[in-house]
Amino acid sequence: MHRLLPLVLALAACGHDHGPPHVRKMDRPDGSPALRGGGTARSPRIANYKIDVRLDAVRHQLAATETLTWTNTGASAVDKLPFHLYLNAFKNESSLFMRSSRGEMRGAKASDSAWGWITVDSLQIAGVELASKLKLVAPPDETVAELPLATPIAPGQTVDINFKFSAQLPEVFARTGYKGEFNMVGQWFPKIGVRTGPPGLEQWQCAALSANTEFFADFGVYDVKITVPSTYTVAATGVLTQASESPGGTRTFDYHAEDVHDFAWAADPFFNTRSQDVTVDGGPPVHVKVYFRNEQLDFALRHLQAGVGAIEKFSADFVPYPWSQMTIIDPPIDAAAGAGGMEYPTLVTTEGDSVFIRPGMKFPEYVTVHEVGHNWFQGILASNEPEEAWMDEGINEWADAHVMTDLYGARTSGIDQYGFQADIVALRNTIVDDPSSLPQPIATAAYAFLDTTAYAETTYDYTMRAMLTLEHEVGSAKFMAAMKAYAKAFAFKHPTGADLFATLSHELGDDFSWFFGPAFQQVGGAKYKIHSTACRQAHDIRGVVADGTGKKTRTETEAPDTGTWVCEVVVENTGPVHVPVDVELRFADDSTQRMHWDDKGNGTFERFTVEHSTKLAAVRIDPDNLEMIDSPLHHAYRVDGEGAASLRAGARIASWAQTLMQLVGP
Amino acid sequence: MARKSGSLDLRLTLGDLVSSGSRALTRYTGTLLTVFVVQSLVAIATMLACAVVLATVFSHLPMWDEAVDGDLVSLVTCLRFAKLNLVACAGIGFGALLLWQLASWFLVGGVYGVLAQRPEGRAETARTFGASGTATYLAYARLALCSIPGYLVVLFVFATCTNAVAGRIEHALTVGDLVVPALVMIVPAAILIHLLWTVSDYARVELTLRHDSHDPSSVMTYLRACGFVLRRPLALIHASLGWLAFAAITIGYVYLAAGHPMYGAEGAVTLFVIRSGVSLARMALRFAVLAGQVDLGGTRPPPPRRVEIKADAKPQ
Repeated sequence: MHRLLPLVLALAACGHDHGPPHVRKMDRPDGSPALRGGGTARSPRIANYKIDVRLDAVRHQLAATETLTWTNTGASAVDKLPFHLYLNAFKNESSLFMRSSRGEMRGAKASDSAWGWITVDSLQIAGVELASKLKLVAPPDETVAELPLATPIAPGQTVDINFKFSAQLPEVFARTGYKGEFNMVGQWFPKIGVRTGPPGLEQWQCAALSANTEFFADFGVYDVKITVPSTYTVAATGVLTQASESPGGTRTFDYHAEDVHDFAWAADPFFNTRSQDVTVDGGPPVHVKVYFRNEQLDFALRHLQAGVGAIEKFSADFVPYPWSQMTIIDPPIDAAAGAGGMEYPTLVTTEGDSVFIRPGMKFPEYVTVHEVGHNWFQGILASNEPEEAWMDEGINEWADAHVMTDLYGARTSGIDQYGFQADIVALRNTIVDDPSSLPQPIATAAYAFLDTTAYAETTYDYTMRAMLTLEHEVGSAKFMAAMKAYAKAFAFKHPTGADLFATLSHELGDDFSWFFGPAFQQVGGAKYKIHSTACRQAHDIRGVVADGTGKKTRTETEAPDTGTWVCEVVVENTGPVHVPVDVELRFADDSTQRMHWDDKGNGTFERFTVEHSTKLAAVRIDPDNLEMIDSPLHHAYRVDGEGAASLRAGARIASWAQTLMQLVGP
Repeated sequence: MARKSGSLDLRLTLGDLVSSGSRALTRYTGTLLTVFVVQSLVAIATMLACAVVLATVFSHLPMWDEAVDGDLVSLVTCLRFAKLNLVACAGIGFGALLLWQLASWFLVGGVYGVLAQRPEGRAETARTFGASGTATYLAYARLALCSIPGYLVVLFVFATCTNAVAGRIEHALTVGDLVVPALVMIVPAAILIHLLWTVSDYARVELTLRHDSHDPSSVMTYLRACGFVLRRPLALIHASLGWLAFAAITIGYVYLAAGHPMYGAEGAVTLFVIRSGVSLARMALRFAVLAGQVDLGGTRPPPPRRVEIKADAKPQ
């Protein structure tokens, strides 16, 4: 026994053994243009980057040069250039990100020794060294630095800005960093802000990185050369145009991407790949490739199928996927919490790989569909995420629900395992707080939310529910067509919430201000409930009544019960969001009758009175489950209470208790 | 049979212990059923109390019916809504468990007494049951206190092993990845708790057998039982057979019941009958194991007799 124990403990401690890294077979160029089918620019291409970066795989450091070619497309001159230096979010505890996240993101914790940073070693414009002129915008946070310009950049003028920078990747806990030999490199280079606003009144949008904010940048062309040890495989945004051996046992991979607003990449010595082509709108295929480690093969194939299906469905529902390549990275299992579940143009990271996630549980597929979906709402439409995160996250959630249903079935898109079935939307709604309890409206800037929970539940879930409710109100086909029109009109144009509402109103032929305002700009959601029910025997009017020219008293004998029942039901909605709903009454003889409450905010309650041969047995608000904002728990009411289900539940609890009793007792 | 130092040198085998159990079941079925009825009454009281607590919040809400019938979304929605009621039900269950623990000291004392003294007839059996249960109640209570340090060690071992393999379990991708860490997490604590439970059982046997003649102290009885169980592996093997059979019956019931929901009043009655049958089978197993333990415990040399010195005793 004493010899067995150390062996068992050693076995328990062993991880997945990949052996030592070895020199990989050289990747071949993708051979396809960055844009599917080639063609002209889809976007204004305001910010174009040429970057040459070398990864020190031992110290997880980057050394790079960058040329940013930026054009002033506004009507006013520019006298300063702000740059995101996102990696400084991980520099120390004084950064806005570390303060607002408290060093934690989605369950992954920051290392207390493996910090990250980025340093601009040189910044030149027209050969003049200007690095010393860079000023932090909001110290002690160092994620945004501004360069004042001695000579403003006139409207229409283009400027080349040359950087030399070095960076340290943190141990990954919030999207970017390393874990072991795996490196996920996102938001890693000096990135210029975005100018928005009416012509002549443009302002810079260059928000510091906080726990809840994501990213906003201009479209452009990216040419990135990545040099890594020869034992490493690289996955990156765009298409691989060249791969070559470089001195010192390294390789250089040249990537090219067009009409994208970001560039991310990963490097790992143990990646394998699987790929599949998917045809979109009858044109050249999209090449979908998943990167994974050996032990994750089964899950990688699930992610690949989900990615292929998602590209097909999103392309059909909105606009065709414009690029040639989609890269899906399935991070190593010990890096998944930090690096998984993030989107970049043409590249996503996924997660959900676990023995506890059985094949019938669609969580891994859901993550992949969600991240791929971002390529439409963040990648193509590209709203200002710090200001209007819901336009990406929330609308994506709504779209994901459709794609998951199309791919995995209406009742089984969330789970179909161990006898349990549930669609993904219903499952999500059960685990988040009721929208009526959320402290801030949907249209809140990401950085202004009370905390991460409020941000996540409002931006993701509540937005999805609001969109679904409106869709059910107007009809799915009509709503999908309206959203398709919105996507086509605003592809590559950074639409705002106002643009979305205006498009929907136009396409749906109704103002909908009675819905948009309360749902997106107020707190409180909807609170539908059956206020009261009452039934009495029907009879002619009793009491003093007119009798010809005089009066008489009509008694019970003269106005006997007719045998039918007059039932009154009062339903209420005390929340600010109002949606027309049906109310179904069920009677003791099992017959039903439907009423309609045209609830558009013109009152908080509605009274229905009906006469029926039997008493009222139950009431159901929204029997077709069209209204998604409210929890459905109080939408149904049984007039006479019934304890059978509670007794069955009590019996089950007692059975468990008896099992425990038999463990502790005789 | 040889006698050694006042003890019987009976080398019982596993087969002897199992036979002893089946004989006890046929001979003292009434005793078994009595204990089972008491336990069932506690369970029924738990059921009714929980039903009332749940009905106060759910009787008018049809979604609860769907939840109880197995709809996952309805179940989670209802549970989130009625967290406090669920906590109340958990409290009721815990209270039932505590009540049973306290009652079981009397009941198991009575069972050991009947199995040891082998009374004839209902009246004699009832008298023996009551007398034995009463006589050993406080001794069993003291014994339970003695065993607490052991259970703390079990918790410590479990926590330590879990900590050692938590990362591996969290990152497991296949069932194969999970097997060794799960075993490391569970097996040491399981072995230890099995040992402690068996020690408690044999300590109780000794307290029952020797209470009148030797009045042994609970602490010394517990320590002697530790030594006995460690020296006589048959005790552990016999007890583990009982637990394995217990687990097999439970798992078998869960497996057969899965995917076969029983709706309505007829279903509820059928389910009640089936669950009662499963509980009775498990209790019968325990009863049989206790009988074997009484026989094996009876082969142990008695504890040192307590000497009482009286002030007016005359020297011989």
